[in-house]
Amino acid sequence: METEIPRSNVTDTMASTTTNQSPTVSPFLDPGPVTKVNSLAILQLSRDNLVPVYLEAPKGKHDGYAEGAVVNTRYGSFPHSTMINVPWGSQIRASKVDTGSRGRNKRKRDAADDAGKEAKDTPEESNTPLPSNGDAGADAEVQVKKAVADSSGFIHVLPPTPEVWTSSLPHRTQVVYTPDYSYVLHRIRARPGSTLIEAGAGSGSFSHASARAVYNGYPAREGDKKGKVYSFEFHEQRYHKMKQELIDHRLDDIVHLTHRDVYNGGFLTDDGKSPEAESVFLDLPAPWEALPHLSRRNPKDPNDKTWVSPLNPKKSAYLCTFSPCIEQVTKTVSAMRRLGWMDIDMVEIANRKYHTSRERVGLNLCFDRGVNNSARDVDEALARLTEIESRFREHAAKSRGEGESDDDEEMDDDDAIAATKTKGGKKGNKKGSTENGNSTIPDNEEGNVSGSGSGTAPWMEGRLITRGEPEIKTHTSYLVFAILPREWTEQDEAAAAARYPVVGEQKVIGVVDKAARKKERREQLQKATLGNRKARRKERDAQMAVTEAA
Amino acid sequence: MHSVIRPNAWVALKLPSGITKVIQITPNTTISLGKYGSFPANLVIGRPFHLTFELLDKNPDENFSRLRVVPSDELYAEVFAEEAAAEGCATSAAGAGDAVISATEGEEFSLVDDNGNVVARSNREILDENARQTLTQEEIEELKREGNNAGKDVIAKLLLSHTAIDQKTSFSLAKYKLLKTKKYIRRFQVLPIDVATFAQWQLEERDASKIMDMRAEMIGLVGCWGNVHYSGEESKLPDPKVSTTEGVEACVELEKERLKGRWLVVDDTCGLLVAAMAERMGVLYPAEEESADEAEEQAEEKTEDPQADSTAADGSVQQNGDVEMRETTETTETVPVGKKQPLKQSRKSKSGPRASDFAIPYSQTNTLTVLHSSSQPNLSLLNYWNFDITSPNHAPHPLLNHLLNLTWLQLLKPELDTSYSTPPPTATPEVLASWKPSRRGNFHRKRRRYARIRHIVDNTRAGGFAGLVCASTMDPISILKHTLPLLSGGAPVALYSPSVESLAALADCFSVPRRTAWTSGNVPEIEGLSNEELEYWQGNERFPLNPTLLQGVSIQTSRARKWQVLPGRTHPLMTERGGADGYVFTAWRARPAEGRIEARGKFKRSAGKKGGESATPAGETPTTAEGMQHDGAEEVLVKRKRSVSSLATELAMTEKVAEVTSPTKKRKSEDGNLEA
Repeated sequence: METEIPRSNVTDTMASTTTNQSPTVSPFLDPGPVTKVNSLAILQLSRDNLVPVYLEAPKGKHDGYAEGAVVNTRYGSFPHSTMINVPWGSQIRASKVDTGSRGRNKRKRDAADDAGKEAKDTPEESNTPLPSNGDAGADAEVQVKKAVADSSGFIHVLPPTPEVWTSSLPHRTQVVYTPDYSYVLHRIRARPGSTLIEAGAGSGSFSHASARAVYNGYPAREGDKKGKVYSFEFHEQRYHKMKQELIDHRLDDIVHLTHRDVYNGGFLTDDGKSPEAESVFLDLPAPWEALPHLSRRNPKDPNDKTWVSPLNPKKSAYLCTFSPCIEQVTKTVSAMRRLGWMDIDMVEIANRKYHTSRERVGLNLCFDRGVNNSARDVDEALARLTEIESRFREHAAKSRGEGESDDDEEMDDDDAIAATKTKGGKKGNKKGSTENGNSTIPDNEEGNVSGSGSGTAPWMEGRLITRGEPEIKTHTSYLVFAILPREWTEQDEAAAAARYPVVGEQKVIGVVDKAARKKERREQLQKATLGNRKARRKERDAQMAVTEAA
Repeated sequence: MHSVIRPNAWVALKLPSGITKVIQITPNTTISLGKYGSFPANLVIGRPFHLTFELLDKNPDENFSRLRVVPSDELYAEVFAEEAAAEGCATSAAGAGDAVISATEGEEFSLVDDNGNVVARSNREILDENARQTLTQEEIEELKREGNNAGKDVIAKLLLSHTAIDQKTSFSLAKYKLLKTKKYIRRFQVLPIDVATFAQWQLEERDASKIMDMRAEMIGLVGCWGNVHYSGEESKLPDPKVSTTEGVEACVELEKERLKGRWLVVDDTCGLLVAAMAERMGVLYPAEEESADEAEEQAEEKTEDPQADSTAADGSVQQNGDVEMRETTETTETVPVGKKQPLKQSRKSKSGPRASDFAIPYSQTNTLTVLHSSSQPNLSLLNYWNFDITSPNHAPHPLLNHLLNLTWLQLLKPELDTSYSTPPPTATPEVLASWKPSRRGNFHRKRRRYARIRHIVDNTRAGGFAGLVCASTMDPISILKHTLPLLSGGAPVALYSPSVESLAALADCFSVPRRTAWTSGNVPEIEGLSNEELEYWQGNERFPLNPTLLQGVSIQTSRARKWQVLPGRTHPLMTERGGADGYVFTAWRARPAEGRIEARGKFKRSAGKKGGESATPAGETPTTAEGMQHDGAEEVLVKRKRSVSSLATELAMTEKVAEVTSPTKKRKSEDGNLEA
């Protein structure tokens, strides 16, 4: 599903958007209170149907629409003009948009293009007003048609976050979804101010999430060290798309994207400097080929002084690799061990979504969808069976009375019973439920209209249940975590030993025996009586409770 | 976080047995690891985290164990040997060979045949009952007492003395060795206390109920779905520079447009949730620790050393500063406490002259506002990050300026709260000068407290929060009732609960039928209310919450399954912690449009079209079927029919239409759009 987000000239107009209060801050990091022109917004059509849109200022006719740019959904048409400068989260009504004549015009236009090959690049506005049946063409030259609300539906406009972006972004590769990246970022300690290396930028879902995690302000000037993501992508097309995306999202100061094959090229910046990363995320087919670059020293020649490590020399490095196959994991882990990574830990994340609904079971419910028309409990079943049974008896008595003169007297009783039973049963079922259905609906109606609560509201009927979504992702990828401690040389050790010499230690901390613990506790208590805030507070709280009670 | 272990820092010690000990590393003490031995704390202070240390045998002239950093090759020696054996070439394990603990010197172990292939024995020859360890407990103890090469000798001897060692399969041998290694090897690792490490320790080894069984997966999910992140530099309101004669009127007014990037938190996890969110916002760890270069670090530590044992955590440090946070009964400000005073003052001088009573110490951006149900918030776990919310004079900590807290009473009925509704005392400088220092201190404290509480309450009630994050034992419906109006449009809501039931009940408040009924105009109780009034809808039995205030309601759970990765023995772990799975409820705050909303889909227009069948542009898809399906799924409201038919029947009708038109799509509409 390689789709492009409809977007025209966003970058051209980027400079003109500086009138807003936070011109350079990404809408992902600070969307501001209202939607803005030329900024990304996510349209929520239904719960899981999210569409990213770059809002465009209405500048005359656009793509045949008199209202400017329009988003068409199954819930109606939504001109951008109705979605600009509204508070985030707003519900937007559909507008009456003339889509029909536009289609015809377009075909005419295309025909004209084919014929004369003219006006291919001319902007929409300067197109000669094409003959059309209505107001669309009449004022197309300068006027932007004001949108008129339509009753076909509505959508909500949401601020972009990595989560909604992940579920709406144009897929270029397999996406790292929220359950995975939230856990990964937590484990690799991506925090404001961290430097993170990401290889295999892919569709950019992890890049966006990690950019938010490490963000602690935009660098004010060259050399200003702020949280940063160094992202690498070797696929050229994906690289260019991603690059454009980062600019559009104003994340290009936070995510530094490089087009490179990291297996051979490593993770240094283009001018050979170290990113000094503390966290690493590798979403590569062969992480073990990239791992040697993530060492403290040249793994082939430890004495190579010219080799530069991409890791922060003063901190432990946290690493996570993301591989779908177990063979990849085995190889990766083996490489990690040889390269000195510690605390190697492999997990896989299973995420499940739940839907809640009302389970309505009963014979006396109307024929709504989702209603199970079978007995709710044994009592109800019993009542129905009794009813059927009594009806059968009536019937049998009647037929016996009639048939006395008949020849069919000989008919097997059992057969008759069986026959009428099924007949009666079916009939009773049908009759009973329709009758009851009829009887419950007025109840509901009453409840609705009067609000007197004589019947339960239909949305409160039944038992509340949760059930998993119909299709679950049973496997995304294996996550391998590891930590590489900072290098510790003998000189470092000597310096530390000089700074913290061992003196005659007396006190013992950590695991201590019972006697020592008791002694400590006694001392603590003694201290507490001298000036313990907690004790005082407790006392005061108790006092307050007394006064309150009084 | 720091690069090295600092004096008096809280750290986690990971022992071979898998047990983690969380301790505060006090300089000049001995750290005891129980049966694994003990060592002077100064031997790890100033060293990096995550290294594996080994306790060496005591030197004859010293009475303590020195430490050795174990290189990773040695730690993984056994795996390397196995890998090498599996490959059939013993050469690649060169150098690692001597690090392998094995029963027989030189060989890997006796189960490797001449070609170096592991003889994987079958279980057929089950070890007989009297196969056992021949070393007695006394002998083992004796071995442990004498120098034993950090436990390695014990393990090797144990392996040698096992009568049936040569009958064990390679797997059971490896297991046996691992078991003995865990028990006797004298190694440990020092980990920094960050939220991930701490939460895991608290969950698995401490009291999981204290943090509501919140797993790492859940912490990650809640933080991400709550969109909690750093949001701007600290920005404070200007100091009004009031004199002591001025009262309420001189308080700093709220500047709504400066409020930005604030998150609401309801935390019943003793502060773990706050810590996790603070970590995401960059306000959990003191900033100077991050940047301090070695020299500065050193200087700072030198000055701190003399008072190291009286840490800020025990609250006895008196300080002239303006960081007084909470009420205390008899704190006086002018009592000099020995030699600490000059130090504190020198630190203070950096922050300029003393702020006036009504100065607001809180940042206007990047803050967490904690709502709590008792008079004081329970954030005791923050002590592990050296933050104590009850401490009156706190050593500098970023949370001081970024963590605001108020009670539900202060939020909902501030007029009933004494500290909010009692105006601050005033006094002329002359009167003030005549008072005893303690009384004077009390006077200032009251004024400061008033200004701060007033600021927090007004600030919170002003709303506009960027998100709500919650892990609470309280009913989520009641929480949302009062917090939803405070959220800005599009703000995410992320609620954690150990069990799904309460979250399901909450999600049901936003069910499609309920929302449909609400917007249908058939609800007499909301007739004539404006959107603003509806935001503060107090709920009734039929509509506990305004169902239009949240969009995209969803419940999910996540679980990490751990695997063992060893050559030829990769599989998920056999057992893991059970208990609560943990669920997260997510949604976004919506701003419903004013007036009635209709959603009939597009079918009507295209059905009664004006010659439109000729052209349906590619961009504009809705076919009749889809349009109608939407109809059935989304809010279906037809004004005209309001008086005639009930909502339920109408829903049923339209849905049937949809079913008839697109039977194949029925399932989809049921699962997807219906619960939009």
